[in-house]
Amino acid sequence: MAGGGASITIDRASKRFALAGSSEGVLALTDLSLEIAPGEFVAILGPSGCGKSTLLRLVASLEQPSGGSVSIGGAAPGLVSARHALGVAFQDHALLPWLSIHDNIALPFRIAGRRVDEAAIARLIELVGLGRFETARPRQLSGGMRQRASIARALVLEPEVLLLDEPFGALDAVTRRQMNVELQRIWSERRITTLLITHSVDEALFLADRVVVMSGRPGRIVREVVVPFARPRAPAVMRSEEFHHLVDDLTAALEAPEPEPSPSTGGEAIGSGTA
Amino acid sequence: MTAGTRNALLGATGIALFLVLWETVGQLKLAGISWPPLSAVLEMLTDEGRRPLFQRALVATLEETAQGYLWGTTAGLALAALAHLVPPLRRGSDRLAAVLNSVPSIALGPIFLVLLSRDSTPAAVSSIHVFFIVFVSMGSGLERATPAHRDLFAVLGADRLKRFRRLELPAALPALASGLRLAWPAALIGAIIGEWFGASRGIGILIINAMQNFQIVLLWCAVLLAVGASLVFYGLLTLLERAAYARFG
Ligand SMILES: Nc1ncnc2c1ncn2[C@@H]1O[C@H](COP(=O)(O)OP(=O)(O)O)[C@@H](O)[C@H]1O
Ligand SMILES: [Mg+2]
Repeated sequence: MAGGGASITIDRASKRFALAGSSEGVLALTDLSLEIAPGEFVAILGPSGCGKSTLLRLVASLEQPSGGSVSIGGAAPGLVSARHALGVAFQDHALLPWLSIHDNIALPFRIAGRRVDEAAIARLIELVGLGRFETARPRQLSGGMRQRASIARALVLEPEVLLLDEPFGALDAVTRRQMNVELQRIWSERRITTLLITHSVDEALFLADRVVVMSGRPGRIVREVVVPFARPRAPAVMRSEEFHHLVDDLTAALEAPEPEPSPSTGGEAIGSGTA
Repeated sequence: MTAGTRNALLGATGIALFLVLWETVGQLKLAGISWPPLSAVLEMLTDEGRRPLFQRALVATLEETAQGYLWGTTAGLALAALAHLVPPLRRGSDRLAAVLNSVPSIALGPIFLVLLSRDSTPAAVSSIHVFFIVFVSMGSGLERATPAHRDLFAVLGADRLKRFRRLELPAALPALASGLRLAWPAALIGAIIGEWFGASRGIGILIINAMQNFQIVLLWCAVLLAVGASLVFYGLLTLLERAAYARFG
């Protein structure tokens, strides 16, 4: 099914951070290539510190690659962000504490200098289930509600690309599962090209069209799995045998010892997630 | 609530003890004649005949202070915002503020006296005090926005002005409110010092006259007036600061 949004092309990207007292710095990513089709939902799994956030920050134009290139629909990410076509949600909800939930969700319109589309905001607030909390301040809400508001904010300008960096990482397991179900529903309505960073194998499999596993630092792709489940997905999918099978498969890939450092391996196994 | 009540009680007890001590030391002349009992000071302060004198002095000083406060705040805010938005100006403005702050106001008085009229010197000295505090608090306040918020604004494609108006400015308000609170007593002291360079009336003039004529009780009256003028507005500004932290902190 063709979705909305732009493609993302990451071509042999690497990122080295300068580090005080070290001439080499930190090599966070090396020679990483990934192609995300328009309307595709890709989840990235990987051990802590392997460069997942760095990858997302390259796509968000919050960092520049040290080598290789990143583009969105053929354009530099900085240009895409400048025309207000990126949506983003982090583990830190980053809601402005002095604005109501409504005004937080309206913020992208104001930053873009566009007329605030009240109908779009109302629809999104309803969609993320915050109908009664429009006028509340972020600190009056629970962690899960804040994340919902932050996802509504990410979607309100109908971005070409949605970037999610462990948006549910700080939530308890039950709330997290609930949020996954909601995000799945919300995403199924719009099908925006999405890059999701997560720690949770379940979350990745439940939400994504394709799951990519990265190795420890410096980050490289060690495994890719195409998720076979049809959409829209019911939570029951997570109890199927096939789901468990894929979870085991990906968990094994995550826990695999460091592969020998041969720079030629970009993505080893592609599309092993056949039914 | 209980902790708040206890604090208030403790504070009130402390003040009461201090006042009793003041009265006792004065009555017993433990500190010589330069320490009159509190009751004598209050008696003079509430004396009908002297009311016009005190009122004129208080109003004059408050006017100068308010003027200095306004000028200093305006200049401090403007320069802090400018330095923030135009990074090349930052170094220079920091230096200017540091230099201004390192010159004692006693030394500034004569300069203002030459540049301005006698009667605007108090407000000018006052504004210098305020300027520095507001400049520094606003400057640091503008750096308060969190990295996560800055990232968000960058990804959403905010230009520098939008980021300033919708993120950095609101995030700076608590720090600014703290600065405004601290600036009031400094403004008052600036005005009083400024008056010593020849203003026609004010609490500072009252102090000088009382000293020259060795009117100890009158001197203490002037001091109490100054403390009162300081505390009332300091208290109000503390409320403003609390509101700013509750809303924007
Ligand atoms: N701004 C930075 N400066 C220096 N090192 C950084 C910076 N950002 C990330 N790193 C380093 O790069 C590596 C990857 O970080 P990150 O992308 O945040 O990992 P992940 O999100 O997978 O946990 C880590 O070792 C981290 O310390
Ligand atoms: Mg991370």
